[in-house]
Amino acid sequence: MTTDKQTCFLQLCLGVLAIVMSQSMWAQTDVVRCVEDDKLRQVCVEQAAQRIAALSPGATELIYAAGAGDQVVAVVSYSDYPPEAKQVTSVGSHTRLDLERLVSLKPDLVLAWRTGNPSEQIATLERIGMRVYYVEPHNFDDIADNIVDMAVLAGTEETGKKVALEFLKGIEGLAHTYKNADPVSTFYQVWDEPLMSMNHAHYISKVVELCGGVNVFADSPRLIPRLNQEAILIKNPEAIIAGGMGERNAHWLDKWRAFPELKATQQNNLFFVPPSLIQRPTPRLLEGAKVMCEKLETARQHRG
Amino acid sequence: MTLSVADLIIDIPKRSPEPLTFTMQAGQVWGVLGPNGVGKTTLLHTLAGLKMPRKGVLRLNDQDFSCVHRMSLAQQVGIMFQDHQDGFPATVMETALLGRFPHLSPWEMETEQDIKIAQHSIHRLELSSLADRSITQLSGGERQRVALASLLTQNPNIWLVDEPTNHLDLHHQVAVMSLLQEKARETKLVVMSLHDVNVAAHWCSHVILQYPDRPALVGTAESLLTLENLEPLYQQKLVRGEIEGRWVFMPSI
Amino acid sequence: MSRRYLFSPLILLLLLSVFCMVTAITQGSVQLSLGQIFDVLQGQGTSLNQILVWELRVPRILAAFATGGLLAVAGALMQILLRNPLADPYVLGISGGASVAALLAILAGVTGILLSSAAFLGAALSTILVFGLAQGNGRPSPMRLLLTGVVVASGWGAFITLMLALAPPQKIPGMLFWLMGDLSYAHSPWLAWATLLPVCLVLIPLGRSLNVLARGPLQAAALGLNVKQLERFVFVIASLLTAVAVTTAGSIGFVGLVVPHILRLILGNDQRLILPACALAGGCLVTLADTVARTVIAPEQLPVGVITALLGVPTFLFLLRRGRVA
Repeated sequence: MTTDKQTCFLQLCLGVLAIVMSQSMWAQTDVVRCVEDDKLRQVCVEQAAQRIAALSPGATELIYAAGAGDQVVAVVSYSDYPPEAKQVTSVGSHTRLDLERLVSLKPDLVLAWRTGNPSEQIATLERIGMRVYYVEPHNFDDIADNIVDMAVLAGTEETGKKVALEFLKGIEGLAHTYKNADPVSTFYQVWDEPLMSMNHAHYISKVVELCGGVNVFADSPRLIPRLNQEAILIKNPEAIIAGGMGERNAHWLDKWRAFPELKATQQNNLFFVPPSLIQRPTPRLLEGAKVMCEKLETARQHRG
Repeated sequence: MTLSVADLIIDIPKRSPEPLTFTMQAGQVWGVLGPNGVGKTTLLHTLAGLKMPRKGVLRLNDQDFSCVHRMSLAQQVGIMFQDHQDGFPATVMETALLGRFPHLSPWEMETEQDIKIAQHSIHRLELSSLADRSITQLSGGERQRVALASLLTQNPNIWLVDEPTNHLDLHHQVAVMSLLQEKARETKLVVMSLHDVNVAAHWCSHVILQYPDRPALVGTAESLLTLENLEPLYQQKLVRGEIEGRWVFMPSI
Repeated sequence: MSRRYLFSPLILLLLLSVFCMVTAITQGSVQLSLGQIFDVLQGQGTSLNQILVWELRVPRILAAFATGGLLAVAGALMQILLRNPLADPYVLGISGGASVAALLAILAGVTGILLSSAAFLGAALSTILVFGLAQGNGRPSPMRLLLTGVVVASGWGAFITLMLALAPPQKIPGMLFWLMGDLSYAHSPWLAWATLLPVCLVLIPLGRSLNVLARGPLQAAALGLNVKQLERFVFVIASLLTAVAVTTAGSIGFVGLVVPHILRLILGNDQRLILPACALAGGCLVTLADTVARTVIAPEQLPVGVITALLGVPTFLFLLRRGRVA
C-alpha cells in the first residue's frame, strides 16, 4: 500500500515537472501546435482553434477549464457545467450525434469521447476532414494533460497550464496529507440497481487510494464490476460511499442500514459524495477528492 | 395414352399393403373403393408422382415415371386433393389460374388466353359470381368446386380426383360427375377415390377394390360391384336393389 | 393479370419512392430548399451544403431505403415459406443470430467490415440451425419451422441479455445499436443495394412459383414445382437479405411483418407484384421513418426502429379492420 502511494506521489511530481518544463518548448513551436491525444495520435493546428465542439459533458468541462469556454460552439446533452455551457448549441446526445447540426456549426476542433461517442459517427467526421482530438482520461495526470493539450490547441496555454498545475498541486497536497493515514477499507457505490463499483484501474479508485482508503473491489477483473449485496457483506468495508447520477441519492445508503452487523453501518460510516464532483474526470475531481478524504477522515475518527 | 403399374406397393406407414398391378386406358373412369384408412388417397398421390412407392414400377405411356420431368408430368397428370390447404388468402380467380402454372415458362405472364381458360373453368363450375371472392370466405362445397376449376384449367390427360363429391349438394354432385364423365369422353383418363359405392356403380367403368387384409380386386365395375365383393370390403352386410334399371347398394340394418 | 395490372402499382410506388427520397434529402437539422439541393446535385452550392448532402444525407437515405426494402422482401419470403403471415426474419431468430455475432464482435473489439462479416455469419449460422433442427427426420412442416425459429430466437435473446450483463459499460451504447435498429451509424449503403437489386431480379421469374408455393407444398408439387429446392433457395435468400439489413442498420423490427401485410391487403396475393412492391414500399417506410427519427426532436436523434413501429402499428390495425379492398 505504502509503495503504491509512493509511486502515485512520484508520478504526480513528474507530471508537474513535465508541465513546467514543456512550457518553454511550446513557446518555440508557435506556428504549428501539435499534441498527442488519448488515442496516441498527433493532433496539430496551424492556428488556435476558434470553433470547438465538445462531444461529452466531461470534455466540455475540460475545455472550459482550459480557458477556451468562449470558443466552444457545440456541446451535447447533459453538458451542465460550467453553467455557461448550457447556453451553447447542443448537437444531441453523446451516443447519437446530430451530425448535420454539428457540421453546420463548422467546428475547427472536435473533442471526441473515445469510448462514449459512436466510432462510426466520429469516423464520418474525420472522413469529411474534421480535426478530432480524442479525450479519455484515466487518472489525475491524464486530466491535467487533457487540459494542457486542449489549451495548446485553443491557444489558451497560459490559463490551461495554470489550471492543470493547480489541479495537480491540489491532488499532490491531498496525497501528502494522507500519505501516512491509517487505511480505511472502502466500498464506493457507483450505481444502485444493479449494484456497481469499480476496480483499481478506475480514477475513482485512485481518489479512494489518495485519501488513504482501500478500495475493497480493487482486484476485481472488470473495470466496473456488477455486484450483489452478499459481496459487500463479505468484504465488510469500514466505509461505504455512494455516488450516482443525481445529487440526491441518500436513499441508496438506507439499504445498508438494514445490516447492523456491517462495519460501515455499525460505525455510522455511510457517506454521500456529490457524484457531479467525482463521477466526471475533470478538474472538479479535486473538490470531490477533498470531500472523499474528509469522509474517510471522519471514518477514522469514528473508530473507538 | 395409358397409365400402368406393376407390383406396386404403396407406402403406408406401419402397414404392408398387397402389390397392385393394373393398366388404365384413356377414356376410362376408374373408381378406387375401400374402407377408411386403406390407402385410397395414398394410391392417388402415388399415381400423381407425389409419393414414392415402397416398391414397383409406374409407367406413363410405357415411360418410367422417374424419367419424366416433374414439370412435364404436371402437364400430363393433375390431381385434386381431398384437403384444401389454404395457407395464404387468394381469390377464386387466382386459384383457378394456378392450373396454368405447368404450361408457362418462368418469364411468361399469363396471357388473355390463359385467363379465358380460367374464366371458362369458373363458369363451368358455376362459380362466376364468386370469381373475385377470397377462397377463405367460401363454403366447403364452393371450395371443392374451386379446386375442380383449377384442375379443369390445368386440363391434364390424367385426372386424379380425391373424393370429388365431398361437401357437394346433390345438384353439384351430378354436375361434377357429369363433368368428369365428359372429360373421359374427350379421351382423358379419370381416376377418383370414392366412399359412395353407388356413385361408383353409376359413373365408373372400372374399379379398384382395396381390401385391408387381402389382395385388391381390379376390373370393370360391372363385374366387381357385387355383394360378395363389397360386404367383405366394408365389413358390413349390404342389400342390393334396382331403381330405374340401376343397381343400388344399401347397408342392411 | 396483364402486364398493366402489374406495372401500374409499381410505377406508382416508384414515384412514391422518389418523392420519399427527395423529401428526406430536403429535411434535416439544416433546412435545404429544393433549389439548394439542385445546385448541390449539379456540383455547385456551398461546401457545407455539399458535405450535408453528399456525405451525410445521401448515404444515410440510401442505406435507409435499401434496408427497408431488404427487410420487407425478407419478411414476404418468410411468410410464403411458412405459409404463415406471422413469420418474419425476427420471429425465426435469423436477426437474433446476426445480433449475437455482432455483439460478440464488439466485445472482441472488432469494427468495420469484420463486424459486418460477423453479423452475416451469425445470420447464416442461425439459418442453418433453425432449418437443420426443424428438418429433424423428414420434411420440416411450417409449424415445426416456426416453433424452432421462435425457440432459437429466444435462445439468442438470452445470449444477448447475458452479453449485455457482462459487457463493460462503455461498450453498451454501441451494442444497443445492434438491438435497436439505428441508421445514425450506418456508414455504407452499397452492400445493401448490391444485395437488394440482384435479389429482386432473381425473384421476378420466381414470382409465379412462389404464388404456387404459397398454396402449400403438396399443391405446389402437384403443379410441377421442385418444392424442396425452392424452399431452400427462398430460405437462403431471406437469410441473406436479413443479414445484410442487420449489418447495415441493426435490427429494425416490424418492417418485415407489416409491409407485406399492408401490400397484400391493398394489392392482392400475386407475388410477382408483391415482392417488388415490398422492396419499394419497405424502402419508403424506413426512409420516411428515419427522416422523422432524425428531425422530430432534433438535435436529439431517435433510433429508426421506434418510428417504424409507431408508424406501422396503427396503419396495420386500420387496414386489418377495413379488410381487403375488393
